[in-house]
Amino acid sequence: MESEQVINFARLVFLALVPYVLASQGTMLGGRTGIFNVAQEGIMLAGASIGFLVAFRAGSLFVGILAAMLVGGLFGLALAYFTTTLKMDQFVVGLALFFIGLGVSTLAFKLVVGVTLRPPLIQTLSNVPVPLLSRIPVLGEILFNQNVLVYFSEVLSIFLYYFLYHTSHGLELRSVGENPKAADSLGVSVWRMQYGATIVGAMLMGMAGAYLPMVYTGTFTNGIVQGRGWLAIALTFFGGWSPHLIFFGALFFAAVEVLSLRVQITGGVIPYQFLLTLPYITTILVMVFAFKWARAPAFLGQNYDREKRTLS
Amino acid sequence: MSELSAPMKPSRSNLVVRLLPNIFAVIAAFAAAGIFIAAMGFDVPRAYSTILFTSFKTPNGFVQTLLKFVPLLFQALAFTVPLAAGKFNIGGEGQMILGAIGAAAVGIMLAGLPAFILLPLVLIAGVVFGAIWAGIPAWLLYRFGINEILTTVLMNFISFSLIDFVATAIWRDPAAGHPTTVPIGPGGELPLLIASPKLHSGLLLAIVVAIVVYIYTDKTSAGYELVATGANPRAARVFGIGVRNVFLLSLILGGALAGLAGAIEVAGVHHRLIEGLQSNFLLLGIIIGLIAKGNHLAVPFVAFFIAVLEVGASAMQRTLMIPGEMVFIVEALILIFILLADVVRRQ
Repeated sequence: MESEQVINFARLVFLALVPYVLASQGTMLGGRTGIFNVAQEGIMLAGASIGFLVAFRAGSLFVGILAAMLVGGLFGLALAYFTTTLKMDQFVVGLALFFIGLGVSTLAFKLVVGVTLRPPLIQTLSNVPVPLLSRIPVLGEILFNQNVLVYFSEVLSIFLYYFLYHTSHGLELRSVGENPKAADSLGVSVWRMQYGATIVGAMLMGMAGAYLPMVYTGTFTNGIVQGRGWLAIALTFFGGWSPHLIFFGALFFAAVEVLSLRVQITGGVIPYQFLLTLPYITTILVMVFAFKWARAPAFLGQNYDREKRTLS
Repeated sequence: MSELSAPMKPSRSNLVVRLLPNIFAVIAAFAAAGIFIAAMGFDVPRAYSTILFTSFKTPNGFVQTLLKFVPLLFQALAFTVPLAAGKFNIGGEGQMILGAIGAAAVGIMLAGLPAFILLPLVLIAGVVFGAIWAGIPAWLLYRFGINEILTTVLMNFISFSLIDFVATAIWRDPAAGHPTTVPIGPGGELPLLIASPKLHSGLLLAIVVAIVVYIYTDKTSAGYELVATGANPRAARVFGIGVRNVFLLSLILGGALAGLAGAIEVAGVHHRLIEGLQSNFLLLGIIIGLIAKGNHLAVPFVAFFIAVLEVGASAMQRTLMIPGEMVFIVEALILIFILLADVVRRQ
């Protein structure tokens, strides 16, 4: 019984991991080229809403996920255009895009579904056991009997690690976020890297949003993201803007989330409202104690203008 | 960032020239949204006349606008005062909730006190609770150098649980279907300026506070330290300004302003604590602050304009069945177009 609970807990952690990994790796990608996206919460909301609506209308979760990624990509394109091309303040543009994402998510839902007490439901993502591996005792159940997006976020993290640290394009991408002037002088196309990384990063955020209705609720609600977008920013700092550390950090964030919900169900002396605050309080504590040694890209949040001298 | 955090001094001669790009930005935002509204098959002229004129057609519409104007103005100031020092307070929502909790707690526990004692206590409790709630991220910034943006946001989510706890477990009103507390004592209610439609005197308080904030940031040396720090923290430090103290102070002031907004909602509008009373005032407050570019002379006017749009939005939703979120998107578009106008001006 005890071990069964542990296995179940571990399974739920890997299930809850996905939105954190996707949104945080997306943040990391853009940030590594110097573009600091802070619209996660809004992009995830838009991804959740549009992803759900398209999945509902098309009858296919896969199409819904693609739609959410497309929406995310549009947000990324807007962010890249406003910051890379027009040199507007990254944080302010990010906030504005957050507002738009928030507005679009409820607007789209109201336009398609209307105001209703009984929202339509979609099938949630089903588990796809990996042949052979899923039959390994304990680990097989935890790791290899999950939905495809769990596998995707794991493979993505490994791929990003390989890409950033073991390919020349990855090196170029990282160099843009550290010293765009040097990268530029070596013939790296700074703006192309920034556009590419920001758009792909935002697509991952849209996907992270779509995961929520497709796994947890089966429908879209206004409060569905619950600050996960903001937590993903903290996680990105916590993981030192590197894909492998972000993945392990996400395990921690997901464990806290599952814990706060689990204890709530089993009940106890502590009112459930206080357990709900666990992820946010933990994150603030993490920021206090773990941010000292975390290193962010040197050019994070600044706009590169090749005609200007850069101070640093 | 510097251009944002340092409020520009408007010289009267070219005020019109300054306003022109902003007016174009507003028109562009409405035009862009109008294309979308038309594509959805709605009646654009009727939608826009509803949005723009509902506030001015009936006394009730105008009072509704003023009632929205009060929390919007406070939320905008809670954002722009720290912004003047170069700090982003995205926690006005939680600070407002805590202010409302503090006000309700005092109003309920000391319900028997007469108005001349209870009302000030209720308002002060709101200010203090809001300041404390902002004080936590402010202290983390001061003591550990933790970036305030994320911590202030995360404090919002913690406050949602707190208000739920207070409204369901401590002073729950069993008769209400929605998490709500019992009413505060009658002495804690803000007196009415107009009896019907009800307009409470928090409006006067808001106007006075806005004037005080303007004088403080633009006319006093203490306020100048704030602005100088925001414009260039390194230079400010060289000139002997305690930059970290200024950051701390600016965020706590922001929290106090948002807390007062919460207290006014309790003392003036609901006379009790209701979950959700913070509405989306924080997001609109940030939009107002950014549209005004932190200029404390402009903030009240922008806040009033947004209040007009918000009242129009609910009317449009009621009468034309166009989702009110459309207006929120228009407001975000106005912000983007105003930022774009800056880019054009720079080139």
